[in-house]
Parts: sequence; C-alpha cells; structure tokens
Amino acid sequence: MALKLVGNFPVQPDRVWCAAPHPHLPLVATASTDRAVRIYSLRDFSLVSTIEGGHKRSVRSISWKPNAKGESVLATGSFDSSTGIWHREERGTHGDGEQSLELNSEEREEDEEWRFAVVLDGHDSEVKSVAWSAGGSFLATCSRDKTVWIWEDMGNENYETIAVLQDHSQDVKMVAWHPEEELLASSSYDDTIRLYKEDTDDWVCCAVLTGHTSTVWSISFENNGHQSRLVSASDDQTARVWHRKPKPEKKEEEEEEEEEPSMQPPSIIKGTADETENWEEQACLPKVHTRTIYSVDWSKKTGLIATAGGDGRIVLYKEVGTENGLPDADSGASKEWKVIAQVPAAHGVYEINSVTWCPKWDKLGTTIDGELLLSTGDDGIVNIFEFSL
Amino acid sequence: MSAILSADDLNDFISPGVACIKPVETLPAAPSEPSNPYEVTTEDKVTATEAKLQAAQISLTDCLACSGCVTSAEAVLVSLQSHQEVLTVLDSEDSCSVGSLNGSLQHVGAGEDATVPNKRKRIFVASVSPQTRASLAAAMGRSTNEIGHMIDRLLLESISSNGKRGFDYVLDTAPFLSVCLHLAAQELADSLANRSEKTPKLPILTSECPGFVCYLEKTHPAVLPHLSRLKSPQALLGTLLKSLLPRYIGDDIDVYHVAVMPCFDKKLEASRAELTDATWKDVDQDITPTRDVDCVITTRELLQLADFRDVDFSTLSPKALPNKMLPPIPALQTFLLGARNLKDEQSLGLQVGTSGGYLVSIMQELQSKHTGSKIIEKKGRNSDVMEFILLSADGETEILKMARFYGFRNIQNLVRKLKPAKLRMLPGGAARKVVGKTARAPTARAGTSSSVGSEYCYAEVMACPGGCTNGGGQLKFDDSFIVDSVAQATANAAVVLRSEAKAWLGRVDEAYFSADEDAIETGRKDLIVRNRESRIANIDQLLEDWVADTRVPLDKLVYTTYRAVESNVGKVDGEMSTLQAAELAQKVGGGW
Repeated sequence: MALKLVGNFPVQPDRVWCAAPHPHLPLVATASTDRAVRIYSLRDFSLVSTIEGGHKRSVRSISWKPNAKGESVLATGSFDSSTGIWHREERGTHGDGEQSLELNSEEREEDEEWRFAVVLDGHDSEVKSVAWSAGGSFLATCSRDKTVWIWEDMGNENYETIAVLQDHSQDVKMVAWHPEEELLASSSYDDTIRLYKEDTDDWVCCAVLTGHTSTVWSISFENNGHQSRLVSASDDQTARVWHRKPKPEKKEEEEEEEEEPSMQPPSIIKGTADETENWEEQACLPKVHTRTIYSVDWSKKTGLIATAGGDGRIVLYKEVGTENGLPDADSGASKEWKVIAQVPAAHGVYEINSVTWCPKWDKLGTTIDGELLLSTGDDGIVNIFEFSL
Repeated sequence: MSAILSADDLNDFISPGVACIKPVETLPAAPSEPSNPYEVTTEDKVTATEAKLQAAQISLTDCLACSGCVTSAEAVLVSLQSHQEVLTVLDSEDSCSVGSLNGSLQHVGAGEDATVPNKRKRIFVASVSPQTRASLAAAMGRSTNEIGHMIDRLLLESISSNGKRGFDYVLDTAPFLSVCLHLAAQELADSLANRSEKTPKLPILTSECPGFVCYLEKTHPAVLPHLSRLKSPQALLGTLLKSLLPRYIGDDIDVYHVAVMPCFDKKLEASRAELTDATWKDVDQDITPTRDVDCVITTRELLQLADFRDVDFSTLSPKALPNKMLPPIPALQTFLLGARNLKDEQSLGLQVGTSGGYLVSIMQELQSKHTGSKIIEKKGRNSDVMEFILLSADGETEILKMARFYGFRNIQNLVRKLKPAKLRMLPGGAARKVVGKTARAPTARAGTSSSVGSEYCYAEVMACPGGCTNGGGQLKFDDSFIVDSVAQATANAAVVLRSEAKAWLGRVDEAYFSADEDAIETGRKDLIVRNRESRIANIDQLLEDWVADTRVPLDKLVYTTYRAVESNVGKVDGEMSTLQAAELAQKVGGGW
C-alpha cells in the first residue's frame, strides 16, 4: 500500500493555501498568497484560468457552491477581511460537455470569464475559511475577529447575514458543514470545535467539542448516511474523531414523566427538546506527526482520512476491525484506526497547508474509479497523489 | 448584546491590545506648582501630588478615536466609569466638606486652578432608564413603579447613611425620552419635506444606540449621513441639567450627573467629545470641557454600588419617598408635572419594541397628519426585524414605510444596502484566461439590492438582539442578584422555551411593557389625540423655556454630530503593512 506521486500542477509564485475540487466538473481551484485563485484541469493537470485582482491580500480559502444551476459559483475568503463571490456561466452542464472549458474556444472567451458578483464584507479581520452548506443555500465564513457568520443566498446575487456567532474566544480557523444536515462546525485557536444549528429564528451553538490541547486548525465531516462523525486536526499534533452520541433511551423519559407530571411541558413542545447535539470524542488517530497538523480531510468516497502539516508529512489512516475482532478493552470500540501510508517531506523542506481528496478523471472528462489526494505547500506547489493497494 | 462592546467581549485584553495606536508612555511631568521650598506640607498632600504624575492612561475618549482593540479593554472601562468611580467621587465630596482644602482630588473639569483654596461643591443627580427598572422589577418580582421607589430610597437615603454622601436628585429618563421622540418625529418630517444638507438622508437611522453609532463611525462612515442628529435621552437630560441647574443652585456648584443604563456602550457615549459643554457653551479653550453626563453605570453596577455601601437592595421599602424633591429648575418641574398628568397614550397594541419605541412613536405622530390612515405591522425574517407601513384611509396607498432592526446580524443587512454602490464591490476584480488577453474590468452587477434600503424612510436600529431590555449591562438569567422565587419561576418557564435566557428576557420585557398597560386599557381614540396635543405642547414649552433660560439656540442643545473614525489598525496600504500585520498576528499568537 502506498501513496504515489502522479503529478503536479504548474508551480505557483507563492504559498498555496488550499485546493477545492469542483462539485461536478473536472476542475480544482487553489487559493494563494499572491491574491489569485487558479483553476486547474483534473484531466491533464493544466492551468485553466486565473482569477485575480479582486482581493487586496492573500486568498486564504475557497469553496464551490453545490447545486449552482447553469453556472459555477466560487466563494473566496481573503485576509483583506472580505469574501468574494464569483460566477462563470457553464456550457453544457453535463459532465462530458466540459471540453469547451479548455479547448480552443477563442469565440467563447468572453463567456468563459469569471465574473465578480458580490463582495460580502462585515468581518473585522482576516477571513480564514469559507464553506457552502450541502444544499448551497448558506455560506459560512469565519475570521480572526473570532466570529462565524452565516449568509443566506437570497437569489439574484443578493446575500443576507443571518447569523453572527460570537461563541469562540479566539481566532476561528475553519468552518465546515455537515454533508446532509444544516449543521455547521467551526474550529478555533481557543482549542475547541463548536457546532451550530438553527433554533426557531436564530442560529445557536448547540455543542462544544473539547479535548484538543492547542489550536484546532482543520475539521472534516464524514459522509456516511447512518452516522455523523467529524475529524479534527490540531496544533497539539493529534487528529481526533468525534461522533454524535445515539439519542438516549425513551424509557427513562417516560419514567420521569410519571414522577413529576406537572413539571413536564406539553408533548407537542417536547418533540423538539431532544434535538440538542450530543457529541463526544470517539478516537484519537495514531500519532505520527511531529509538528502542527494543519489539515485533515475525510474521503467521502473511501472513508480514508488524510492529514498533513508543519512536518511536511502526509499520513493516511484507515478504520479497521480490531486485531482479534473483539471490542477494545479500554474504549469498547470494535474498530480502530491504522496508519496505512505516509509520505515524508512531501514538499521538501516546506510546510504543507492542506490535503484534499478529489475525484479522478480521464482525459475525456469522465470520472473513473480511484481518488486523488492533492497537497498544497508553502513552496507554491500542488502535488497530486494516488493511493494504491 | 452589542457586538461592539459587550460584557462577554470584555475579557479579551486586560491591557491595550497590541494593535493600539495610542502610545502608552509616561508623559513628561507637568510643571510642578510653584512651591515654596520653605513651605510646611503634609504627607497627604505630597502623595496626592505624586499620584498625579503617574503614567498616562488610555481614556475612553482615546478609544473612541481609534478603531483598534482598545474599546474592549475591561481595565479602561472599569477604571473610568463604574460604580466604584461613583463611590470615589461621592466619598471625596464627603471628606472635602469636612474641611480638607486640597484641590488635587478635584474631578476633571471642575477647574484646574490650584490656587483656589476651596473645593467647589457638587450636586449629585442620577437619571434612571426604564429598562433598568424593568430588569430590576423582573429580578425582584416587583412592579417597575415599586422599583422606581426603591432606587430613590437607595440613592437618596440608604447610601448616605453613616454620614456618607448620597445623591440629591433622582430622575426618570422616560419623560425625556418623550422629548426625543417628539424631536425625532420633527426631524423626519423635515427630512421628508425638504431634503437639504442640514437634514439627515433618508432613511433616517436612530442614533439612540451608542453601539450602533460607534460601529458606523468606525466601520461604515459612508452611512453616517443617515444617522439622526438627535441626542439620546441620556445626553439630552445631561445637557439640560448641566445648562440649567447651576443657574438655580449657584454657579459655584458643579453638577455631577450619573446615568443608570442597560448598556455598557452608554459609557462610551458619555465620553464623547461631542457631548460636553464645549458644544453649547462659550468656554475658555484652556479649560477642559465638562461632560454632560459624568458617569454611566449599568443596571448590574447599581446593585453592586448598593452592595459596596452594605445595602441589600431587595429589602428596601417599595413605597414612595414622602419628601422626594425635583431639581429646582422651574421649567423642568412644570414639564415633569405635566408629563405625569398626561400619561403617554402609547402603542394601542402595536409592538413598540423594547428600546424606547422610536419608530412607533414617530409613525404615530406622522399618522396624525393623515386622517383615517392606519398602521400595519409585518413580521420580518426573524423576531428582531419588523416592518411598519402607514396605509392611507382607503387602504390602497402606502404613505410611508419604516422598519426596525435589532441585533448585529440584521444591522449588517441594513447597512449593506445603504452603502454607496461602489463601496459594495471589490475594486478591480478581474479574471483572465491563461492564454487570454488582458484582464477585463469586472462587470459587477449593480442594483439588485440597491433600492431595498431606501424603501424605508426611518429605521429604528439597536445593536442588541432583543433591544435595550437585553442590554449588556442588564441582569442575566443566572445572576446572583435575582431573588430565589423569581429564579425558580424562570427555570420552570425555561422548560417550555428550552432556554433560560429567553424565559428571563421575556420576564424583563413584560415588566418593561407593564408600565404602559393602564394607558392601553383606557386608550380611547379621542382621548389619545387630545393627549398627544397636550403632551406635545408640554414638550414644546420645556424646549422654549430651556432656550429662553440658557440663551443657547435649540439646535446646539438637542442635536449632536458624528465623525468618521480613521483607523490605521487592520488597514493595509502595502507590503510593509502586510508584514506588520503578520508580526502583530504572531505576537497575539493567532498566526494565520
């Protein structure tokens, strides 16, 4: 089992912060300190277009809007404390029609331009992360100003602030949405992860995940229908898996009701009461990193977890049954995480800012089996790896 | 709570933040008094003089001129305006009256001339906000009226037992709020009638919330022309007392005015250079201007003040003081007596909001000019947004529209729409193809949202979600000052609401609105119109007397100004600044 370098994108002039694969096209966008967003093809790893001139400082984070009809919509979060929304018309929105993107299309040049649509400002300081919700109706942003903002897309390029969450006591490093529910997570320099959901007409913090002993740099949800899990990576050199605890047994509640009927609210209201999020740490991934882990990504396809960080190392983890097939004596868990591959000095002496899983495409623009792992580094390089058994 | 300055936000920095642009250094020692080397002095006097030469401090006024971190420095806030400060001043007065002739403890503005042997006397006046009474009423399980009497007893009697100095007068800010409401309606009517440089742009935004005012000055100066120029009730009453009281009690006496407010940001408001006697009085440039409000304490700090003087607030008698005096200003006395007899007609079932009811009051005053018109309420996208439409008698035409926006998130959406179009775009955003030609200027679409903000002619804006009853200085649901029976009842209600904070806020709001209930019940339409007229006549009389007494134009007394605060914190002009920002980031430990 090995993680093999299969290529890289043309080198960029400055640090590359992160990469984000397009929701359905063979494209990946990267954010750079040189204030530009570069979009590469996943078919031949060539540069497709460059979006620049919009932000006054580093573009720190990017996110593609899911379910954007007939166009591609990109959100960019910058250290200039603003968030930009960019649009590009899509030609032939069905996967294979995407040749038009790169193939000599002199006459289409105008249509293919990225059009700057809206600037969302409000943050007081650097925007650290931006993320669209699964349905694409909400955009979350977080900043060094310690706040997390939620914006609603009102259509017609009109966005409204629907929440300003001030629960963190320090710089907020990353925001991530649950793959199915409207549940938002944020991680911070205050060592915590917080979860938010809408309560009547306001977004509220519904859970605080504590355990890391230093900055939580990155978080990623698992995409697995029957359970909700989240992995986090921290400056404390650990990556941890958190899960939503199963709801408590109904039985107990009924008993309570009998004891003190007068104290119980009407059943109609009660229905909502057990929606409080109850999360706890499930596992700490095997410790390999010797410096800050800056990034973690949970593969939506294979369930593998990748981490990378200040030590220049990329590590892959897989969840397997315990050796004897029996639940672990300490944790009671019947599964455990194993390191299955690692690449030391993946960017030479440089730090790695992010690792991101993305689908694999053939030269014709059809998705094929397998998955790629992109790593972005301070050296301006985006490396492309593939995991093989 | 205000996003600008909230109690929760106060634990960020104990000392000024690293980005503070105010150099903290020891100022050169002030030229010492021409002292006679042979003079015999006392130890007290020597230490007092030394204390004067301590390191320069950052004042709230400095913070207002900066948009950096400092506004959230707890140390600054607490040391300059707090219940301890009030007690210190009260105590110093006491000791001075016993015969100490040393002037070094004199408060700023009381005159710096050290050769004056006698310390000037002070008159202490407290003004109490209705939201403060509501918070205490909910906490003590009493009516707002009873709480009013208890506050009177606390400030006029209890804290002055044991030979200590107490307050001389306690006033309710509500009648002065009605003055502001009337003036605000006039201001809007003027703006609607003829738009000029002198009137604010439409929609006019309420200027009563100091959190919002500071936010605009620092973050959205382009929106400042929309801000109502009217002073807040706190500031208006401050000017009234400072300009009139000395005329009737003697020019050699200083008025020390303490406001009890639901809000921390009111401390910032009181520190504004725009709200001193320099704006309405011809004062010598060398003399430090005197603030119209000397000190602001919050609802909670009022109880702490009681604690410091060993008074248990909850055990005070809820009965009216038999001999409560009004300040000896004839115009004020006439006005207050008049206001008492003409109980405000209030909302007639409209949701006036918890912040003084600016919007509803203004709309009702404008409504009286359109016979048969009616006011329609529309719920906004959340409970902190509400739209009001004045419909003509036939129900067809919308005469005017107003809206209420409470809370930072809703303010964002309002402010964004009011900013000039060019400021809403990123400058020079462009994208280019790899092999493409030169970058093209972006075609940012104008318009989809630009007109939305201007459909209203007035917006009542408050920084706190839930409005002023939910101010940062109010008692919170888990406050130790809340009496047990109330805490239990709140906990029970919370089972249904799933939030103790919400249940508690509901109780405070209920107390706040209960003050108007009588009026609503007896509020027949004809009576209301008559009431309104007499009420306005009463207000106009006060304003007329005030101008006549002070010979200062009304504009100077009731209006104020705002200024854009230029900041170099967080703004970057080039590579150098980026480096500085990075350095700063590392110092605070944030990294990127």
